[in-house]
Amino acid sequence: MATKKKFLIGLDVGSTTVKAVVVNQEDRQIIWSDYQRHKTKQVEKSFELFQAIQEKFSEYSPSDFRVFVTGSGAKPLVEPLGALFVQEVNAVTLAVESLYPDVGSVIELGGQDAKIIIFQPNEKTGEKQAVCSMNDKCASGTGATIDKCMIKVGLPEEQVSQLQFNSGKLHKVAAKCGVFAETDIVNLIKSGIPSNEVMCSLGDAIVSQNLSVLTRGNTLLHKVLLLGGPNTYLPFLQQTWRLRIIETWQQRGYKYPTELSPEELIITPDNALYFAAFGAVMYGLDEPEHVGQYKGLSELEKFVEEQRSGNMRKANSGPALVQNITEVGDIKVNYSVPPFNKVQYNPGDHVRAVIGLDGGSTSSKAVLVSEAGDIIAKAYKLSEGNPIADMKDLLQKLKLQITDQGATLEVIGFGATGYAADVLEESIAADVNIVETVAHMMSAVHFFKNVDVICDIGGQDIKVLFMQNGDIKDFRLSNQCSAGNGMLLQAMADQFAVPITQYADTAFAAKQSPIFSYGCAVFLDSDRVNFQKEGYTKEELLAGLAMVLPKNVWQYVVQIPRMAELGRNFVLQGGTQYNLAAAKAQADYIKARVPNAVVNVHPHCGEAGAIGAAIETLRVVKRRGKSTFIGLDNAIALGYETRTDESTRCHFCANKCTRTFIDTKAQTGHTSRYISGFSCEKGTVESKDALRVLIEKRKNLKEKYINLIEYEARLAFKSFYKPEAMPEGGAMIDDIKVYHNLLGRLKRKKVRRAFKRSSADAIAMRKKIRIGIPRVLNLYSTAPLFRAYFEALGIPSSNICFSDFTSEEMFQEGAKYGSIDPCYPSKVAQSHIHHLLFKTHEKSPLNYIYFPTITHVPTFVEKSMDSTSCPIVAGTPNVMKAAFTKEKNFFGERNIEYIDNAVNFMEPNYLKQQMFETWGKRLGITEDESDFAMEQGWKAFNWFTQDLERRGLEVLEKVEANNEVALLVLNRPYHDDPGLNHEILEEFQALGYPILSIRSVPKDHAWLNRWFKQDLARNKITSPLDINDVWPENYSANSVQKVWAAKFAARHPNVCVLDLSSFKCGHDAPTYGMIDDIIKASKTPYMALHDLDANKPAGSIKIRVKTYAYTLMRYQESLLDRAGRLSELEKNIAAKRKELLALRRASIMEMLESDQELKQEHHTMDAAFKAYLDEDEEVLGLTLSDLSQDLEKRAPKSKKRADIAPLDTNVIAIPITQITRRQNNETVPLKVANAKERI
Amino acid sequence: MNQPVKNYVDIESAISDFEAAERKRLNLQEQPVEQWYDPQPQTFTRAQRATTTILMGGLTIMQDNFIKAALCGIGVNVEVLDCPDTKALHYGKEFGNRGQCNPTYFTVGNLVKYLVQLRDEQGQSTEEIEKNYVFMTAGACGPCRFGTYITEYRKALRDAGFPNFRVLSFQQKEGLNQTNGGEDAALPLNLKFFMCILKGCVLGDICNVMGYRLRPYEIQPGQTDAVLAQVRDILSAALSKNTSLIKAAHQCKKLFKTIKVNRNQAKPKVMIIGEFWAMTTEGAGNYHLQRFLESEGAEVDIQVITAWLLYMLWTTMHDTKRRLKLREDDTGRYGLANMDGQKRIMKLWVGEKILRGIFKSFAFLMGLKHYKLSDMNEIARLAKEYYDLESRGGEGHMEIGKVIQAAEKKKAHMVISVKPFGCMPSSGVSDGVQSLITKKYPDVIFCPVETTGDGEVNFQSRILMFLFKAKRRAKAEFNGAAVAH
Repeated sequence: MATKKKFLIGLDVGSTTVKAVVVNQEDRQIIWSDYQRHKTKQVEKSFELFQAIQEKFSEYSPSDFRVFVTGSGAKPLVEPLGALFVQEVNAVTLAVESLYPDVGSVIELGGQDAKIIIFQPNEKTGEKQAVCSMNDKCASGTGATIDKCMIKVGLPEEQVSQLQFNSGKLHKVAAKCGVFAETDIVNLIKSGIPSNEVMCSLGDAIVSQNLSVLTRGNTLLHKVLLLGGPNTYLPFLQQTWRLRIIETWQQRGYKYPTELSPEELIITPDNALYFAAFGAVMYGLDEPEHVGQYKGLSELEKFVEEQRSGNMRKANSGPALVQNITEVGDIKVNYSVPPFNKVQYNPGDHVRAVIGLDGGSTSSKAVLVSEAGDIIAKAYKLSEGNPIADMKDLLQKLKLQITDQGATLEVIGFGATGYAADVLEESIAADVNIVETVAHMMSAVHFFKNVDVICDIGGQDIKVLFMQNGDIKDFRLSNQCSAGNGMLLQAMADQFAVPITQYADTAFAAKQSPIFSYGCAVFLDSDRVNFQKEGYTKEELLAGLAMVLPKNVWQYVVQIPRMAELGRNFVLQGGTQYNLAAAKAQADYIKARVPNAVVNVHPHCGEAGAIGAAIETLRVVKRRGKSTFIGLDNAIALGYETRTDESTRCHFCANKCTRTFIDTKAQTGHTSRYISGFSCEKGTVESKDALRVLIEKRKNLKEKYINLIEYEARLAFKSFYKPEAMPEGGAMIDDIKVYHNLLGRLKRKKVRRAFKRSSADAIAMRKKIRIGIPRVLNLYSTAPLFRAYFEALGIPSSNICFSDFTSEEMFQEGAKYGSIDPCYPSKVAQSHIHHLLFKTHEKSPLNYIYFPTITHVPTFVEKSMDSTSCPIVAGTPNVMKAAFTKEKNFFGERNIEYIDNAVNFMEPNYLKQQMFETWGKRLGITEDESDFAMEQGWKAFNWFTQDLERRGLEVLEKVEANNEVALLVLNRPYHDDPGLNHEILEEFQALGYPILSIRSVPKDHAWLNRWFKQDLARNKITSPLDINDVWPENYSANSVQKVWAAKFAARHPNVCVLDLSSFKCGHDAPTYGMIDDIIKASKTPYMALHDLDANKPAGSIKIRVKTYAYTLMRYQESLLDRAGRLSELEKNIAAKRKELLALRRASIMEMLESDQELKQEHHTMDAAFKAYLDEDEEVLGLTLSDLSQDLEKRAPKSKKRADIAPLDTNVIAIPITQITRRQNNETVPLKVANAKERI
Repeated sequence: MNQPVKNYVDIESAISDFEAAERKRLNLQEQPVEQWYDPQPQTFTRAQRATTTILMGGLTIMQDNFIKAALCGIGVNVEVLDCPDTKALHYGKEFGNRGQCNPTYFTVGNLVKYLVQLRDEQGQSTEEIEKNYVFMTAGACGPCRFGTYITEYRKALRDAGFPNFRVLSFQQKEGLNQTNGGEDAALPLNLKFFMCILKGCVLGDICNVMGYRLRPYEIQPGQTDAVLAQVRDILSAALSKNTSLIKAAHQCKKLFKTIKVNRNQAKPKVMIIGEFWAMTTEGAGNYHLQRFLESEGAEVDIQVITAWLLYMLWTTMHDTKRRLKLREDDTGRYGLANMDGQKRIMKLWVGEKILRGIFKSFAFLMGLKHYKLSDMNEIARLAKEYYDLESRGGEGHMEIGKVIQAAEKKKAHMVISVKPFGCMPSSGVSDGVQSLITKKYPDVIFCPVETTGDGEVNFQSRILMFLFKAKRRAKAEFNGAAVAH
């Protein structure tokens, strides 16, 4: 009997779609295929596909089919289908091997994953081996990122699929994280950048991200196959891949068949969607016949039913958001935002009010606030990308709300906050432009008397403000992470097609909830996928997500474990509070941790920022007595033009930023130009003259408010120390000889011997040696030593070449070699090595690239356990060696030797040995020469440190004398790099605050004792440089120094703190809580940026700088104010003392009146005193009575001189010639001023 | 009317009152700032020993059990914490610093979880808990985050409401470090004490290796685990009652022999290396990696704790030898000032021999055959070219050396390097260097994988991606061998 035909079904359950193929076992051809978007209903959609298959192949029974499933959502289907699970990368690999055997690499972008497979030929066997990599925990560079951003751009799908890539007009988009990308996209759109340019920029960023991270530093081999939805449907993305991959090949000298066109080299196959499903089938072909036997539809149907009924329960699920229906009612009463009823007016009424406008990231809001502070009207609109258009629209809406009632409106002031505030200040002469945080604070304080904590959750940002005495004491902002913001809930609701207005009711219906791990929004989404697979319903998922929101806010973003210490009055505001599920979860979380907490929802929670701006406008206008605002009608009629073209491009550097000009013209004739879209301050001006003024301004700032971080960064790599001359060969020196005695014991003895010099040839050779050193990591603190070492050995100063400071361009250019993803300071090292290889070496060849493995760094802290480098920082030189030698030896090709020996700065004698071992033969030096050079190196290092301390002391003395503040930066040495600190410090410098580095704080014990005397007296520490009182596990040098600096700042009233850390910094992590405790106890103004990374989140930094500037300003005012009050106190005490002394005199007089005996005594003694005064005493041998005689005839009587002080101290009674000094062997008189000093 | 002022005492007193009033009026009533200090509660005296329970944990389940039993045998009250679970992770994240690695979150959270249970479920007051329990853990002096675990424990305990809870650090290289111990120290810091820990580690290692070797091939599912449970009880009893360990080991050997296996199966051998905690924990910390691999048809080759102790000895030996002939000794941490370097080398040499001897003896007694402890010199020799031997933290150069060794000696079909997300030495350095190693040894199937505590699906998917190749290779080898026979 002939065997029946057999079919194999391949099912690929991805994060957004389900795909199935039916393959004929005999000829391996796909005879049926389909795909569906599952909208989170993976099981149901799979069921539909199987129904379709069964209908199509109705003449066959289930036993004729075998099923192989793959994809992130496939595992739960294994059991009901009887299928075998095949991991998706393996499935794709098999499909490619079968369909395109000549392919060298595969790039597949899925919904949540991105995969790269490189088929490496094994040189020994000739076989191809698939080297696979996929994103394992991050959605950057995946289809999900593209999807999210496409929504923001607002381009219809059909237009996107027609879009062609244009590399000529690209803008900065950070694709490192989907959330960052989204923020950049929003900003580009708001700047008026055309949608197609935004999409191309996004595509380019995603391609670059994948090429630099996902390839793990490997070069893609040709031909390249592009798979997955985005690669299939987006031609502009395919074109980007083609451009960038070929560029990388050319850059790395990779040999590919240049005769083939890019389309032939980088292919998009027709059936790209079905590769994984088909590959699963290919896998199955190798399996025994019984494996993957299809069970038929019934089991699957049962499984679908179980899911639908929600009967699948997990034992470890969490509680419901609400326990019963009564509770829902209570929530609505307690946390619902009351409906706003605009104020009613009668025709003819005249309304005087101010306008507050909050131009937010996703929406803009405006309010009318009466002179009495009441909210009269509100307006809201989703931002359309142009702040002027949004403003006009909002103002018109506000106006109509009053004028439609027949009343007239007089706007007496205008204030703005949010992203749009700058442009509005410029264009309509707003009275107020305040940062969002301060606006939110003002609004909350306006409505609630007692406020301790304000928690504002907006669409993109989280702001938490801690209050003290009605003012911002401290604040936290979400930095670059979307975890915990409103968009998270919005996105989840969208996934289930639940309108956001119904989120709460849906979530309240859940009887249990899955326990999400809080943190990154992308991880949360992957949790969501898992929970769905486990059978949780949408109600439960929405409830679970609402409950994770407060954890993200308080634990992930705010990082406050002891909430009760913050106070008990909490105000929740921001648009997210309209969602009662979020408000309820927040309130539950707070109340569980803060006894007797009062949680209020702001009555105008969506407009809190706008209200704050309006309240501040009322204050400013009242104080100033007039408004600068151009007027309501003028503002509504404001003409404007937005331009982003060649004429607006900045030409002041190679960046050539495409700027956007917004030109406005009011009916009054008031014109303004607002410029955006530049990456540095140069972009703010349009002419060279204006630029000159800008440069002058900066120069002045440098002198007036020195930035010692910048100075330190520059000085560290300069040749400022001239080494002493090397001793001559034969010069006698003291040394120690190490030898074994007869018993084999090591012994040492002092010897005197001749200094050994190297040969003249070696000396001449050294003059030609060129050494490249990357300007990275701990070289920021040790470079002076290395430079002086080499210079002392006779290598010319100009031959010691450091790479440039980090810049975005440098990073982009050289960032495709690394196979790992560490912190940015380590990751950027590859770009510096690239720079040395491809730039420095090209100009003039290098002999060595020296990147020492610095295991221990020098430290000033005393009594510490050790002084180690961070292991990543220490190990990066090894990683770089691997990265630049694994495919080809980039150093060897250029005859450069790469040197990465270990050095230990805590053991000077051992360091000498390490340096000689490394450089002895290479430089042809003797050990004596190396040791001498090391001593010179240490001298240079000490000069470097002492100079900075001297300048630091000057700053500290100045601020102390003037009751000003200096900003001490707590950072690791490499954050001195302007490319790493994103030049945030310059912004504070521009505001008038000098910047101190840790190195620049004087370390002189006697000077420091002033600040640490209490700790020393209590025996908490043994020296002012000891930190064992706060951190005994103090081995990590750079972290330890940061903690010491925090301690110093906590004790010095004129020092405020800016704490910088890189994203992923493992060594700073343990110090976060500690520094927080130190700073909090002392109430020192403090701002932390703990997530510095490759991209500069300009918007977020701006808010932080502005908010902190507000805090600094208030603090400086308080110092001045305090000094004023202290002076008043001294004056008043002196006056009081005078008054009391007068009173005492009066009391004595009274006493005399009543005590006759005493009165007599005083009388007698007063008479005696009077007699003394009246006595005609001889002065200069004469009495007054003698003056009546003829003095000329009188013989001299005495030589006694008058003991009378000069009447005027400025008139020196000593003849000038009597005070002299020796000058050029001549006696010269001293100047009067000097004489005065001496007196 | 003013009161009469008779003398200066009255004036000064009046001025003082006036100043106080003025300071109040001018808001100048400043208290001196009370700076923050870490209280570092660590006192644990001999008198407290009888009423105090020492909490510990963090090694494998076997080892934790044996150390507990051995310490009980010398009269120390020890309680072992359960293997950390996801709830522990959540506690760790809530009370720990942001940006820590997940072993910190898991282990720190595990202690907080236990104490919260004592307080909230068993009704003990915070004061009672702080008085009756101490926690003991291995300490280090860096250079990775591991060195700051103790800082993290104290922070989390303060924030979780146990500010006076004592955490004692057991310095791996230096013995027990109790700041306030002195002569009144509660713990007997003698050879006996250290031998308890050593025996626990070695016996645990041997049982674990036996288990992972037998389980994948057992004919009767569950038999290996059942035997291991019996073995655990027998050895624990011998340790706690101070009866003959040799006799107990013999009993165990017999039990292991009862496990029937079928070696006639093509199973890929998967070596697990990586960060110490992530590769040794047997719970949520690595998503039950060992059991997952077994469930996917692999045989697991684990790293033993004894090898870690050998690595510790090796590093000290290396550092001492490097500095031995300096003309002047340094005072830095590794410097030999005030120390006899030659004597130290001798001690280390003897220590290593003893450690290997103990392991070998018990391995023989319990029936563990053909198991060779790593040769640290060989690993260093292999790794040296790629990873500086003086770069420390985590496993240091060991990871590199082990992969090269696995490739050259074909020790496993696949090597998994498991580490916590952002592990500084492993993710941040080793993985970067491994990219060169895998190029040099293209035959090696190397799978570096990070754990975050969540994201289990992606973690396992990544492993499956590589395991597929390892399975194919094992199958081909197996078939080849079958044909050859």
